Amino acid sequence: MVMKSSVEDDDAGWGLGIPEKMKNNANWVDITHEFKGACKELNLGELLHDKLFGLFEAMSAIEMMDPKMDAGMIGNQVNRKVLNFEQAIKEGAIKVKDLSLPELIGIIDTCFCCLITWLEGHSLAQTVFTCLYVHNPDLIEEPALKAFALGILKVCDIAREKVNKAAVFEEEDFQAMTYGFKMANNVTDLRVTGMLKDVEDELQRKVKSTRSRQGEQRDPEVELEHQQFLALFNRIKFTRLLLTALIAFTKKETSSVGEAQKLVVQAADLLSAIHSSIQHGIQSQNDTTKGDHPIMMGFEPLVNQRLLPPTFPRYAKIIKREDMVAYFGKLIERIKTVCDVINTTNLHGILDFFCEFSEQSPCVLSRSLLQTTFLIDNKKVFGTHLMQDMIKDALRYFVSPPVLSYKCCLFNNHQAKDYIDSFVTHCSRPFCNLIQIHGHNRARQRDKLGHILEEFATLQDEAEKVDAALHSLLMKLEPQRQHLACLGTWILYHNLRIMIQYLLSGFELELYSMHEYYYIYWYLSEFLYAWLMSTLSRADSSQMAEERILEEQLKGRSSKKTKKKKKVRPLSKEITMSQAYQNMCAGMYKTMVALDMDGKVRKPQFELDSEQVRYEHRFAPFNSVVTPPPVHYIQFKEMSDLKKYNPPPGSADLYLAASKHFQQAKLILENVPSPDPEVTRILKVAKPNIVVMKLLAGGHKKETKVLPEFDFTAHKYFPVVKII
Amino acid sequence: MATMIAENGPSTREQPEVSSPSPDMLKLEGLLNKNMRIRMTDGRTLVGLFLCTDRDCNVILGSAQEFLKSTDTFSQGEPRVLGLAMIPGHHVVSIEVEADSLEDTQGYGADH
Repeated sequence: MVMKSSVEDDDAGWGLGIPEKMKNNANWVDITHEFKGACKELNLGELLHDKLFGLFEAMSAIEMMDPKMDAGMIGNQVNRKVLNFEQAIKEGAIKVKDLSLPELIGIIDTCFCCLITWLEGHSLAQTVFTCLYVHNPDLIEEPALKAFALGILKVCDIAREKVNKAAVFEEEDFQAMTYGFKMANNVTDLRVTGMLKDVEDELQRKVKSTRSRQGEQRDPEVELEHQQFLALFNRIKFTRLLLTALIAFTKKETSSVGEAQKLVVQAADLLSAIHSSIQHGIQSQNDTTKGDHPIMMGFEPLVNQRLLPPTFPRYAKIIKREDMVAYFGKLIERIKTVCDVINTTNLHGILDFFCEFSEQSPCVLSRSLLQTTFLIDNKKVFGTHLMQDMIKDALRYFVSPPVLSYKCCLFNNHQAKDYIDSFVTHCSRPFCNLIQIHGHNRARQRDKLGHILEEFATLQDEAEKVDAALHSLLMKLEPQRQHLACLGTWILYHNLRIMIQYLLSGFELELYSMHEYYYIYWYLSEFLYAWLMSTLSRADSSQMAEERILEEQLKGRSSKKTKKKKKVRPLSKEITMSQAYQNMCAGMYKTMVALDMDGKVRKPQFELDSEQVRYEHRFAPFNSVVTPPPVHYIQFKEMSDLKKYNPPPGSADLYLAASKHFQQAKLILENVPSPDPEVTRILKVAKPNIVVMKLLAGGHKKETKVLPEFDFTAHKYFPVVKII
Repeated sequence: MATMIAENGPSTREQPEVSSPSPDMLKLEGLLNKNMRIRMTDGRTLVGLFLCTDRDCNVILGSAQEFLKSTDTFSQGEPRVLGLAMIPGHHVVSIEVEADSLEDTQGYGADH
């Protein structure tokens, strides 16, 4: 019977199932000697095993006593006793009342460091919960520490909830496991902020009573006490403000985002005072008699060692106190930026906001806050606008399709309404997904962008059909108007943006080898940016056509001649920037071809693959897109063949052409009316490249065998070429 | 008894050329899928199902649970679930099996 049950266990896998028969009173018999003797009879490499268990299964076993795999052995390497909170109190190893000010300051600072380390992707068990006080704040008698412990737990709990809800994290970003710890769920948020406020008021009184008075001889001890009270006061206040700000983010009203912003700004004001008072806190003691770990009262790095999953041990290096304040400063900056999103109303503007925010590689908490601020629980943008309305506005702004114009007969035509409404409804999920993708970390974004192209390909198909249906409808009602490729142009624009971003991010993530640059830049300049620019100009002319019709209708009514004021076209900035990008890519493409001609590009020994294999791999996600059609390797080779020119250009001609492209990009960018940082960044690459290309065209260092260097520090996507 | 052997499946596939396994080998095979308690050099004890071994006495236990050494007061009772674990032969201090499972094995050995 026993054996039967164990066999059934085996069928379920040798994983984590606990054998049901784990009687402690079982009669154990030592067979060490016989066992070892019997093993000796096996041949070298021969395994004795169950028929259901083979070498493959054996591979997944964790190896005991290997420090890289066995998290459990670490606990045995230290000689001190590892105590939990209750045990530590009983043994008097930890104080729960009458803590000195330096002790409190030190504990709080270490907790802050743990919090940050957790936010940077380590497990709670190895960070915040190495602090014994947060295991059970009810046992703490010291009011300041109790309020703080509850506050930290609430901060963790809300942060965890936000990150989970936004779902823009992966294993490498964040560990959501709580290991069964209570996150102060028995106390309300309001009660905790109230407790923190009470402690804060009490401390403020102490700060005031120890303040120096005019003409008074200052007692250095009182002065020190004053400093310490102030340090503690600032820390408690900071905790309260941080917690209140996070609570504000959980509210549904848009106004609370503004409130959160105010709160984090107040919190930021405390940071320099916190930084300058770090030295008032106690430091961890490096007691050699107890083991090698530096030990701080109230903290036990190994207390949760046995809670860790049976995977290889991960070591959480808690950040230094000196870096803690700087991190909080940056975190608050990011949260402040996140709050600004509610001032952007246009969907394209919001998308740009997400792209720009993501470019700073923000932390998982701020990324999640941005996501949850954008789409609140009720699935409305900022809690107020329907995604469908946002999409309609974006369409109006981008192509002004007649169907969405109040002055067009289609606007009130119920059939046209049905068409457009169902299209817009189908758009909302892919666009929400697109925005969510921009919340992921940079490396994961690329992967997900490749996949979302499939969804957009489906939308593209639908857009074209709806355009055609609306057009035939419009021809019957208003023959002088057209509804051609309006929705299609809009989807195509997003398609192209995704494709461009997919390719460019490969430079940022350092995925491409130098010998691959030329076809990536070729694809961008000759193909994607060319398509993007024609798409943008089509959208622009569609807008103009619509404006003309509106104008004519106005003219018909009022005799007053409308002033012919030259208006700035809404898409002009984007068209200009695309031209600049295209020139930068073309310049880089020609540079790479010319360098290759001069033997200055190291190529791999293609044995198992070929350039074609790599090329096809690089552009594989584009195969799901119908418009623009993917350019296959053979086509690329034909299109980029230099022999079709007569005479074929040499490297000098190409360097010169590249220099002209960079020159052109510079010209375009220098004429941008209010240049943003991106313009300055590209200029920083274009300018030196103009010079380098001219030098190379003139034969500078033509004979050198040293490979050129590509410096991506000025811009993520375009390098400064350096000839050494 | 016979059905149990069939279910347990002595690992004949790996060494078909061995015509008559030695009694020691049969004993070892009889231990497969039995609960085993192994003490390691650092004082920890692992309890799990015996799944695999080799000449160097490296042992793989399935559904293994880790018990700390008896001197440790903290979290004494609760074992830690490890799952599939391999104990290198040179870290094996002692091996124990439950008495009743040993009887089964001996019975099996005597039958032949």
